[in-house]
Amino acid sequence: MLTTVAAGRVFDYSYCIGMYGMSGQGFWSPQDFALAGDTMYVLSRGAEELGQRVSRVTLDHQFLGQFGAFGRGDGQFVWPRSIALDGDGNVYASDDFLNRVSVFDPEGTFLSCWGESGDDKGQLNGPCGIAFDGDGNVLIVDSMNNRVQRFTSDGKFLGKFGHQGDGEGEFNLPWGICLDDAGSVYVADWKNNRVQKFDADGNFLLSFEASPTSGVGDLHGPTGVAVDSEGDVYVTDWGNHRLQVYAPDGRFIATLVGDAQQPSPWTQTYIDANPDIIKARRRVDLEPEWRFRRPVSVRVDENDRIFVLEANRHRVQVYDKVKDYEEHPLNL
Amino acid sequence: MTNREEIALMGHLMRRAGFGGTHDELVDKAGRGYEATVEDLLNPEQFEPVDEELLYRFMPGYEGALGPPLNQADWVYRMINTERPLEEKMALFWHQLFATGNSKVDNPPELTQQIAMFRRVGLGKFRDILIELAQNPAMIFWLDNNGNHRGAINENWGRELLELFSMGVGNYSEDDIKEASRAFTGWTIGPKIPRNPLGRFYWNFEYRAEDHDDGEKTFLGHRGNFNGQDIINLVVDQPATARFLSRHLYNFFVADEPQVPSWNITPPNDPDAIDQLVAAYNESDGDIRFMLRVLFNSDFFKQARFSRVKSPAELVISTARMAGNFSQPRPGFNSLAFECAYQGQELLNPPSVESWHTGSEWIDGGALVRRVNFAAGLLGDVSLPGVRSMVDTLRERGNLGPDGLVEACLELVGPLEVSEGTREELLEQARSDGGIRWDTAEDCAASEKRIGVMLALIAASRDFQFA
Repeated sequence: MLTTVAAGRVFDYSYCIGMYGMSGQGFWSPQDFALAGDTMYVLSRGAEELGQRVSRVTLDHQFLGQFGAFGRGDGQFVWPRSIALDGDGNVYASDDFLNRVSVFDPEGTFLSCWGESGDDKGQLNGPCGIAFDGDGNVLIVDSMNNRVQRFTSDGKFLGKFGHQGDGEGEFNLPWGICLDDAGSVYVADWKNNRVQKFDADGNFLLSFEASPTSGVGDLHGPTGVAVDSEGDVYVTDWGNHRLQVYAPDGRFIATLVGDAQQPSPWTQTYIDANPDIIKARRRVDLEPEWRFRRPVSVRVDENDRIFVLEANRHRVQVYDKVKDYEEHPLNL
Repeated sequence: MTNREEIALMGHLMRRAGFGGTHDELVDKAGRGYEATVEDLLNPEQFEPVDEELLYRFMPGYEGALGPPLNQADWVYRMINTERPLEEKMALFWHQLFATGNSKVDNPPELTQQIAMFRRVGLGKFRDILIELAQNPAMIFWLDNNGNHRGAINENWGRELLELFSMGVGNYSEDDIKEASRAFTGWTIGPKIPRNPLGRFYWNFEYRAEDHDDGEKTFLGHRGNFNGQDIINLVVDQPATARFLSRHLYNFFVADEPQVPSWNITPPNDPDAIDQLVAAYNESDGDIRFMLRVLFNSDFFKQARFSRVKSPAELVISTARMAGNFSQPRPGFNSLAFECAYQGQELLNPPSVESWHTGSEWIDGGALVRRVNFAAGLLGDVSLPGVRSMVDTLRERGNLGPDGLVEACLELVGPLEVSEGTREELLEQARSDGGIRWDTAEDCAASEKRIGVMLALIAASRDFQFA
């Protein structure tokens, strides 16, 4: 269904952006993205030695260009994983093979990179989620070390919290991260099937996971997390191919499964240029195409629009959180 | 205390039923016992499967692979890192027997699904495996059964089911092929969402009753309104099927046989062994696990060390396992998949439905150079963790003269049995360079270098080409 009403919230499917592309217009196994006004930076992981890049696209489907490529040199990636923007719009991208963060200006010019492999404080092993706090410092999910580390924007170590385990404040291969307006930190604890919320100092506050009584709201390999202006929490439930929505207190609210019934303009152009594909599509149930496949990252903009990136459909689906929704007559 | 002979026998078992093992692994398994290890291999479900989600977390392109070699690399990763070696080896066996290729299917995820099916049912009853195969979308497309219609048969699947997959040439008539094909009308796949620009989608098996020819058929002397399942039931009861499958198992697990197309005119190299496997087939109603239990515990198997040429997949996977540098997701699995292809075995893309020719036909000038360079390159690199472990083991043994160095290295790479000629060449190298000593830093550096050279030479030997 295109409109989901649950617990006083209304989530209304809007449109989708993107398609598969080895290079240029399109994404390839995208892992993360960042919003900057009407522009979006999408980080493609590609495959082995091909396809790694950051794509710049507008929210109305204009492809502005790309930067980065496979390699170990400056401005290159092997396993690009996550991306975030600082207050000046500079682009920070983690690489969980090279154990470093690469920094680019908003146009994609390489500025610097930092990061050292290891498990001592300040060292990285499989850096994944990346986010900025209110002071302009960088929080990085140091996944293989099962912790979150905080650095200055030029890579000086400031602090860390978490260690391996499944108790409160412990992690098992954590992945994505976000902060809310109060500075609280949310971490997708991938192998523990939950999202943990911490205060700004890293003290455990709350866990978003399956209800211990009903089992609803369960997660299987959560990857990304975002918080809207009302405190609702969105989690990409990667292993279950869905988006789970929770209230600020951790109560489960709704599930979104993807609703891209109308292909993106890029996709539609591809279809329209291929008569055999048009014929083939008229003979099949297209529903599998609408649905999320490996949703991997979620972001919420200042208007509480919810953007969900799918690694295996190479696109972003957009939902509006409708604040002034009026129920239609149910007896229509 | 486990003796050298027990370790050597365990090395033989693991090379054939899996993709080899490190010396430490072989010592452990030998301590557990041969028959107990055979049972472990035959009952893989007691061991954890490959963590697929961990793999796809790091290598998202493998899932729903958009094109080769990603699907091949996915399989290479699993073959190297499985804790269920026989399950994976059987998938390779069935892939070589039921050869299905991306050159025509052009749908890598479907081929990956087919291999997953082999993992799932590959140790079960041959009857069930053939039913799964007949309903496998990649196979249906590969052999055109989607074009096999009531009143307008396409014989491709029916012919290969009998000729290449079960009975072998000379055991059925052209009319049997036509009747079998009639029985499989209506076994098909439907259209799927086309590939790109949103990734790959899967076919589904469909049985279309309206397209099935349900008329009376005569097949192998039996009459009835046969459907596809009835044909398979009749096929698996044929003595020719028991013999054909037994010979394939012998060729894959025991010793090289003549090439398959000659089997109807060339007798097996070891008829008694084939008879034992046929008896196991008949006793167990075609149960593959039962047949393999007989095979691995037989004298003919235990006495067949180094009597098969390693297939490219076996050489690449076993050497990479020994080198130890592909034990987790990392870049480089594409290169291993390419390496199999360069050596003559492009996984998931055999040259035809007849599959690869095996044995000595794996070897030609170009392939041999690739095999030698690949294996020597890995085993000669003392920085790789598996090779490093061998260096550490040798260091624990203390100073060794040239003869001791050669013997110890052969033991750690197998143990590998070599010809006198090879041994003399290795000794000549060892004597010219000297043995290994660990008294000073200079000694250690020189010894590590000598070990690397010796391991590379062993990997380059003729003897290393055999499993």
